[in-house]
Amino acid sequence: MALTALICDDSLLARNQLKKSLPSAFDADIITASNGAEALTILRTREVGLVFLDLTMPELDGVGVLEAIKADAMDCLVIVVSADIQPEMQKRVMELGALAFVQKPATADKLADVMHKYGLI
Amino acid sequence: MTELHFTDVQRDCLQELVNVAMGQASDKLARYLGTFVHLQVPAIALVEAALLSQHFASRYQQQSATLVSLGFFGDQGLRGETIMLYQLTNVGVIAQLLGYSDDAVSEAEMLTDISSVLTTTFLSGLAEQLENSFSYAAPRILSSRDRDFADKLAYTAEQWQLALQVDIRYQLTDYSFNCDMILLIPGEAVLRLRQTLDNILADF
Repeated sequence: MALTALICDDSLLARNQLKKSLPSAFDADIITASNGAEALTILRTREVGLVFLDLTMPELDGVGVLEAIKADAMDCLVIVVSADIQPEMQKRVMELGALAFVQKPATADKLADVMHKYGLI
Repeated sequence: MTELHFTDVQRDCLQELVNVAMGQASDKLARYLGTFVHLQVPAIALVEAALLSQHFASRYQQQSATLVSLGFFGDQGLRGETIMLYQLTNVGVIAQLLGYSDDAVSEAEMLTDISSVLTTTFLSGLAEQLENSFSYAAPRILSSRDRDFADKLAYTAEQWQLALQVDIRYQLTDYSFNCDMILLIPGEAVLRLRQTLDNILADF
């Protein structure tokens, strides 16, 4: 059974950009959410193996999603994909359990690098 | 105005490009000030430039404000002007933090420096995503302590057809420091910008 991966970003462009830039070797069903609250609803009802998570979002931001994933000990990997590249923010999301941080815009090269590094492709 | 209209998809695209450029600018600002900047989703609005001066004159009526403007010129007719508007409530604290002395001349110098960090980083980030590159005019500074502030703002806005108003709250961890950023773009450059957005959208 293929892995389910969730792309969570409030921007349609960013979601499409990411979806299209995923390595072809990555065999997964892709679903999307347009804010953090929507993502949590999905994570609580479906088995999701990997989340691509934006940080700056309305409703619930990415940090809030990471906190909830940690609090509920959900079994999913999170790659943060964000424009908020301040070192302090990168440190914070890593401390909250993110697997990696990818600076926006997410290009095919950047995604392939990080996914290869963590054995996802 | 209708011919300058943006569709929802074009708007979303522009918002995301602005978001990425803002992230880069905030990172620079955070390093410059040695603090953390809380990023918020930027509110962008396309407004008629003619209405802008009224809007900001009333917003800044009750307090002193300073405006720093910077013109930019890119390839293929893409050009415009950015305006940074600062409320001066907490400027003294920032001046102390950065080691500027507490007088009007230093304040102007500091705001010009901060504007330069923010706008050039923001604009180069935006240009890169638009596959363009910008050059810049010398910054212009204007204080609300000048009696004809509203007139000067109106005069600036009048030269442009469309304003892309990006409200950015740069909220620092330790200090309250707000500023508004406005991108002013003339009509023919708006058409160019829209074409570029369509090209980006066609790729995805």
